[in-house]
Amino acid sequence: MEILGQDRREGLGRKAESRAVLVTMIVASFILLLSSLYSAEASVFRKARESVIDAAEPVLSLIAGPIAYIQGVVGEVSDYFNVLEQNKALRAENAELRQWMEEALALRKTLAQYEALKAFHAPPGARPINASVIGDSNDAFTHAMLVNAGAPDGVMRGQAVIDDKGLVGRIVETGRAASRILLLTDAQSRVPVFIEDANVEGILVGRTNARPSISFTLSAGPANFQKGQRVLTSGAGGVVPRGIPVGEIVEERDGEAVVDLYADYARARLVRIIDHKFPTVEPIEAAPAEPTDRRQDGAAVLPSSVASLPALPPAPAPAPAEGAEDEPAQPEPSAVDEGD
Amino acid sequence: MSRRAEGLAALGRIATPTLIGLAGVILLAFPLRLGGGYVPTPVLPLVVVFFWTIYAPSYLPAASVFLIGLAQDFLSGGPLGLWPAVYLVTQYLVDSQRSYFLGREQRVVWIGFAFAATGAAIVLWLVMSLMTRTLLPLGGIALQMATTITVFPFFSAAFRRLHRRVLREA
Repeated sequence: MEILGQDRREGLGRKAESRAVLVTMIVASFILLLSSLYSAEASVFRKARESVIDAAEPVLSLIAGPIAYIQGVVGEVSDYFNVLEQNKALRAENAELRQWMEEALALRKTLAQYEALKAFHAPPGARPINASVIGDSNDAFTHAMLVNAGAPDGVMRGQAVIDDKGLVGRIVETGRAASRILLLTDAQSRVPVFIEDANVEGILVGRTNARPSISFTLSAGPANFQKGQRVLTSGAGGVVPRGIPVGEIVEERDGEAVVDLYADYARARLVRIIDHKFPTVEPIEAAPAEPTDRRQDGAAVLPSSVASLPALPPAPAPAPAEGAEDEPAQPEPSAVDEGD
Repeated sequence: MSRRAEGLAALGRIATPTLIGLAGVILLAFPLRLGGGYVPTPVLPLVVVFFWTIYAPSYLPAASVFLIGLAQDFLSGGPLGLWPAVYLVTQYLVDSQRSYFLGREQRVVWIGFAFAATGAAIVLWLVMSLMTRTLLPLGGIALQMATTITVFPFFSAAFRRLHRRVLREA
């Protein structure tokens, strides 16, 4: 008993107390980890994250100036040493680009003719928002960047971000002065893509290493793709616009296509956020006076096929369209009401 | 010096390790991209936690370590609580071996840090692998910890000087 008492006296000492605080803190951080895991989208966490990146923005921008200057000087010195090689490479690239330019000019003319036709509906234009990279996550398992554009500039969650070569990632958080981009290499990143010549769609999944891979759905069957084929965004899901270059297939691994990204994360200093409005189908108000128009109008049938898209406003259920097909002459107003 | 100024100076001394840790977090969030992006930024806060836990634990209480870790989670965009857990577990393990490290040669302490960094990397990898339900590649974290272990002697020497000359004086 005496020994126990001595231990107890020691146990009330300062050291044991700080040890107890330490253990409590460890438990607290694991509880926080679990709770942030199961409610990562909770508004409290989101608000907190957004205010922290806003608060960090001035600090990061402040130190960005001198460091960019030093890096510029170092870069210029190293450029000086391999100026001959660079010149040679640039000349070759210039010759190739001239050929491409000729082809592009010819294509532009053809395209203008097509656009002049009445049947053509141009896709809605995208407004780019330019931003410079002020932060990297520099974390082995979290791949993200911070840019100095926020909600007042028109940045919204889900928007695609590109550099001069291809897709960089998507916006996941927007503060007032800064936003966070989730890079394609992050383990949480999922972007719908398609392989250009193979005509297969899949999801580009981040693997925390430099090369993400495309995973194919089981129902799609065996995917036939080849090394060197281009990967572009597919626009499925209605978040990232279709046709943004992502990368090239380098190999197959475990039934997945490993992609070498076009975007250069080590060099990306200026990026472009694409404010792209998807053509959405307006929910058609029930118009009892002329319900037959709904059946004839192609747009009325569309919502049923895209009803699963998350971004869309509640679309009319397919019920009224089917009902209208069954009885084209006498559509019942009640069926229309059910649809809404 | 007035009493108030003395109080402020004392507060500044006490808060210095925490502020250095937070500066390390800012450095981690900054796009340094050393060596053309191939050399990851060292995890400086881990050096701070290791150093002050051994030599002057009262300057870096658990609450400060928690704060540093939380700031890092917020800036990196990872799950909240991850880095506090990593740093606090490191602090716990280092604290339990404190009497061994005190008064040892710097080479021995360096090896000790290498073990601590490896432990931290294993905790990180385990938690992230559990969270993503895949076995994540170890290359990235191994390289980052190797960089941190490489720069440890320089920062350790700087911190020792700072602690002896500035923080301990008075």
